[in-house]
Amino acid sequence: MAENEFYTPTDLDRLRMENELLAFEVRFLKARSVGAPELAGSPISLSRMTHLEEAETDLKLLLSRIKNSPLGPVARTNRSFRTLEDRYLKPSEDAMTMSSSQRVAYLEGAERDLALLLQRLGRGPLGVLFRRRKNFRTLQERYL
Amino acid sequence: MMPTQRTEHPVYYAGRFSDDVADVGLPGNHNILSDWDVLPPQLSAALERASVLVVLDVFSFPFESLTGDLQDVPLVLLLPAGSDAGLLTSVFGLAAFARLGFFDRVAVGDAGVWAELRRRYGWVERQRIEVEDDRPEHAAAEISAALEAESAPLTRSLEGDYEADRYWTERGDALAGLAPDRAICSVNHGLRFNKAMHRVQASVLSPQFAAARGTQAEEVSFDVLEVGAGVGRWAAGFDLARTRFTGVDISAGMVEAASANFPECRFDRLVEASILPYGDESFDLAFSVTVMHHNPTPTKLALISEMWRVTRPGGRLMFLEDFVSGEWSTTSTVYPMSVLKFVELLVEATAGQVVLEHVESVRYPHDGFTRGGLLSVSKLGVAKTW
Repeated sequence: MAENEFYTPTDLDRLRMENELLAFEVRFLKARSVGAPELAGSPISLSRMTHLEEAETDLKLLLSRIKNSPLGPVARTNRSFRTLEDRYLKPSEDAMTMSSSQRVAYLEGAERDLALLLQRLGRGPLGVLFRRRKNFRTLQERYL
Repeated sequence: MMPTQRTEHPVYYAGRFSDDVADVGLPGNHNILSDWDVLPPQLSAALERASVLVVLDVFSFPFESLTGDLQDVPLVLLLPAGSDAGLLTSVFGLAAFARLGFFDRVAVGDAGVWAELRRRYGWVERQRIEVEDDRPEHAAAEISAALEAESAPLTRSLEGDYEADRYWTERGDALAGLAPDRAICSVNHGLRFNKAMHRVQASVLSPQFAAARGTQAEEVSFDVLEVGAGVGRWAAGFDLARTRFTGVDISAGMVEAASANFPECRFDRLVEASILPYGDESFDLAFSVTVMHHNPTPTKLALISEMWRVTRPGGRLMFLEDFVSGEWSTTSTVYPMSVLKFVELLVEATAGQVVLEHVESVRYPHDGFTRGGLLSVSKLGVAKTW
């Protein structure tokens, strides 16, 4: 659909747009209040940070889903999956003490890990099953 | 949630003259209040469905009680006869006149008094209701007739495919004469709705206007451009003695209405689509209020780029727009665009030569969710001329 065409906004669209607006405002206020010079003042970094935080949230949700599904025990036999689990699902003290540049590096890593995970899952033997799910296709569209 | 239309009607506060005013037999649905009806517990209920509050007895009305939602009720003040502007200012200046804005009116017979008060408070000529007889019972009939004449239905539905330039040109020209007192996109909602919207928008914009002026010396004129100025209501948000306010609009009718409202300001018609008829770096501030979201992406891009061009380095660009679209968007004239998409567009249009100064979400009183947002950026660069 061309960007200029009208479409029927659903409640989901409205919620997503409202969430984006409020998240953008919160990110701006946080950046201003902590005085993070590399974040404050730049619309590019602010919108990028919002996107990265969404990627981190999506990655955590995806990992939790897989972990709690019947495939969880199988997935955990994979070392890479266990690494992701350790990195993103286990609460870490470091997250609270990260500097803003460390936080950016961490979030960019999360975005890369999410893209790799989506590629692996999509190409694997169960890829057909994953792609039948709308949520999975949405993530693929968003990050691949 | 679509803003709902409430059945509203004028309310007349007649105070000591309530019996006299009741005897006149004002036409239409209305309420007349005496001085007992405006005690704090009653006032809120009495004004709940007021489309406008006509204060015929200004001496006894408790203006300080108009707080919360009640401050959105448009006011019409009948000034007492036989008083000069100095006396009226000293008695009603802080209590009443200072709270009058673009959507309020003053009923006064004496042209000299009106001219002096208008100059002091920056009111526009349209805000005057000229009454021949200052006595409350007679003035009430004249005010009622004036309000009745302005309350004709203004609904104009969208016909055929929406094409922004044509639609807003035609709509502006058609409505300029009928409703030179309302925001064009809220023209069907009545004055109270318009005033409420304006109050919320002003609460967000006014501090940013002041911040844009910043530390600029008072004797240096502040050059402001509003894109999509409509009837020019935002000119009232500036001290026009120290500001050169310019508005540009696509509708010739709106330019005419705005010029009549603010003769000391300049209003131009946007003749060539999306090209602002001004030189590079002409303004300290360029802003738009609920304009961009009515335009498709290429037009938004062109307008932002033009606003950036005409703003001086170090100057501000501000956008108060809707970044959330509700269900009604399918039948309205809004092109939905999220704030992040808009920021991407802003960066593209300005080649990233901007710094984000302020972000603020805006929730309107009639909405169940947050849909508006203000983005303020400053322009990077070195001035071409000094």
